[in-house]
Amino acid sequence: MTLFSSSMTLRAATPISDAEFKELRDFIYQRSGIWVDEKRKYLFENRFHKRLATLGLKSFDEYVKLLKFDPRSAEEMKTLWEIITTNETSFFRDIKQLESFQKVILGEVLAEQRKKGKLELNIWSAGCSSGEEPYTLAMLISESLGLELPKWKVLISAVDLSPAMIAKAKEATYGDYAFKTTTEEQKKKFFVPEGANFKVKPELARMVSFQQMNLNDDAAVRRVPKSQIVFCRNVIIYFDDAMRTKVARAFYDNLLSGGYLLLGHSETLHKISTAFRPKFIPGAMAYRKD
Amino acid sequence: MALIQTHEVKPGMVLAADVLSKDGRVLFTAGAVLEPWHVQVLKTLGVAGVEIAEIEAVVTPDQAADYTRAAFLYVNPDHPAMQTLFEIAAERVLRRATRGWVLPDVATRQARNVEHLSDVFGPGQASPEEIVQHETELASFPDLYFRLKEMLDSPKSSAKRIADLISGDVGLSAKLLRLVNSPIYAPVSPVDSVARAVTLIGTNELATLALGITAINYFQDIPPELIDMPTFWRHSLTCAVLAMILARRQGLPPERFFTAGLLHDVGRLLLFKKLPYASTEAMIHARENFLPLFEAERILLEFDHTDVSKVLLAEWKFPEAMAQAINFHHDPMCAADPQSGATLHLADIMANAVGIADGGMYAVPDLDPAAWDELNMQPTELHSLIVEFDAQFEKTLAAFL
Repeated sequence: MTLFSSSMTLRAATPISDAEFKELRDFIYQRSGIWVDEKRKYLFENRFHKRLATLGLKSFDEYVKLLKFDPRSAEEMKTLWEIITTNETSFFRDIKQLESFQKVILGEVLAEQRKKGKLELNIWSAGCSSGEEPYTLAMLISESLGLELPKWKVLISAVDLSPAMIAKAKEATYGDYAFKTTTEEQKKKFFVPEGANFKVKPELARMVSFQQMNLNDDAAVRRVPKSQIVFCRNVIIYFDDAMRTKVARAFYDNLLSGGYLLLGHSETLHKISTAFRPKFIPGAMAYRKD
Repeated sequence: MALIQTHEVKPGMVLAADVLSKDGRVLFTAGAVLEPWHVQVLKTLGVAGVEIAEIEAVVTPDQAADYTRAAFLYVNPDHPAMQTLFEIAAERVLRRATRGWVLPDVATRQARNVEHLSDVFGPGQASPEEIVQHETELASFPDLYFRLKEMLDSPKSSAKRIADLISGDVGLSAKLLRLVNSPIYAPVSPVDSVARAVTLIGTNELATLALGITAINYFQDIPPELIDMPTFWRHSLTCAVLAMILARRQGLPPERFFTAGLLHDVGRLLLFKKLPYASTEAMIHARENFLPLFEAERILLEFDHTDVSKVLLAEWKFPEAMAQAINFHHDPMCAADPQSGATLHLADIMANAVGIADGGMYAVPDLDPAAWDELNMQPTELHSLIVEFDAQFEKTLAAFL
């Protein structure tokens, strides 16, 4: 006895041939460094199925051709990044890492800058998604600097592959979901209510500058201002080893000496780069450029 | 409540008022969930329209199918067995939704604040060996387990000695008796002593169940806030019951498969204990990327829960045949006995599929086609297997709690 009036099939999408899958996968890899495993072929079929229908395309082959040769390509790339990237994040995510970062790393970097008499701080947030991470960093910095804050020039360069995420980040307005790892106290301190949502206080938002960027784009990466700190959390898990090595080098080149790289909770530079000196901080690992 | 024309009535809708025939007899009562045959009867009898309950967020069959399909994004949609499992899973989702279950949205599926958790090891700092060593050095495994193990290994163990050993542990014997009296054995008359249980299901068989229960009990102290433990236990027991039913059909020793099913994710239990934050990150990564959990573990930890169980079960000197099935339930054809590996592999996949309607939020792992061939089954058999499972499961779960 079934509740379904007609039979339904598990397959809902046009099949992608092995050759088409490889072509699309390689195209995505060349452009973004994101490596899509063969095992995710069916997910791919499903995700792109609707897109193909919207564009009135009959096969994945036509889609790849559009991406490669069509004048609409640049526009379509924006949608492509939407489809292949995920954006799980929230304010104060991985608080143990952030607390030790604030206490140990940020403390050390700020002290160093004061000693040099250069009240400047540059941070690069690579893979900032909808902005929760760079804004969280702005909040931690304002907490650490306290009354000193107006004397400092703080710049957080936040970049992400997805233009839609960057647009959302610039809005600086968030619903409940972004606050699942935030205390009421933090919410009161750093946000102003706006209807049912909350907006990052303007003096904090001012520290962050957003830009769409592909970490595989060497020229763009080189234009990021030299930083004392780089945050790149939950990004390199989507890369293969070659691309991980490449971005690790880019972060190294971007960092000023004595600067630190911080990765996501389960990510390491193990097997990727030996250029950095790993430094244990409670709940996390930081990588120092000596 | 809304009056719906008969030609617009769909299966899954719920009647808000009794439906009367022309001569005033009650055809269907209020509250009934309409199935296709109801709709057919309404049309045949020429009933113009019926009162349908307006449930907030009514789930349509299409929505139920889409929701279920999202959990099947990792599997080959063209494999007939997966198609059948999809039908089974979607049916259960729709059935539950018509009873008022609201399908979890993306936010609910990803929401989990685990910020208070700390891992024992830092990122990339622990291998499966170190994780197991950390556990075995800290805590001793129950003595009863090793004595059961010794008896299982020795051909000279008498039924009486094993019955005495089990009876000595009040908690264990109570649980075993509840299990033996549950529908998975369905004894003609109630079994009220361990000695009778031994006679009924056999010495080695009962000792095998006892071994599994003792081993899994070791993890009973994992705090429920750490992960959703009720869901974990439900999945483990679902897998155990399905593995047992499958084993009976395959002519394999059922108790071994019940125990292996119960312990198939034992590596994950140790991961929760040692790396709670990293394990949770793997869960979130799996959910948001539509990956089975073991794939997310491999990506984030560089090993998965079966790598942990390999070391842990070896340390416990767990019976090899069961250990093989457990350790290779994601790579069944690499098991020493592929038929055993395949049996547990399918039981786990089925447990994941069945679990979708219980709120399970992880992608169903893909079926190894070679493992499926090894089992020599027809996809339609999966339906009858599920009927058997449904007849046994809830009461078996009650026996276990």
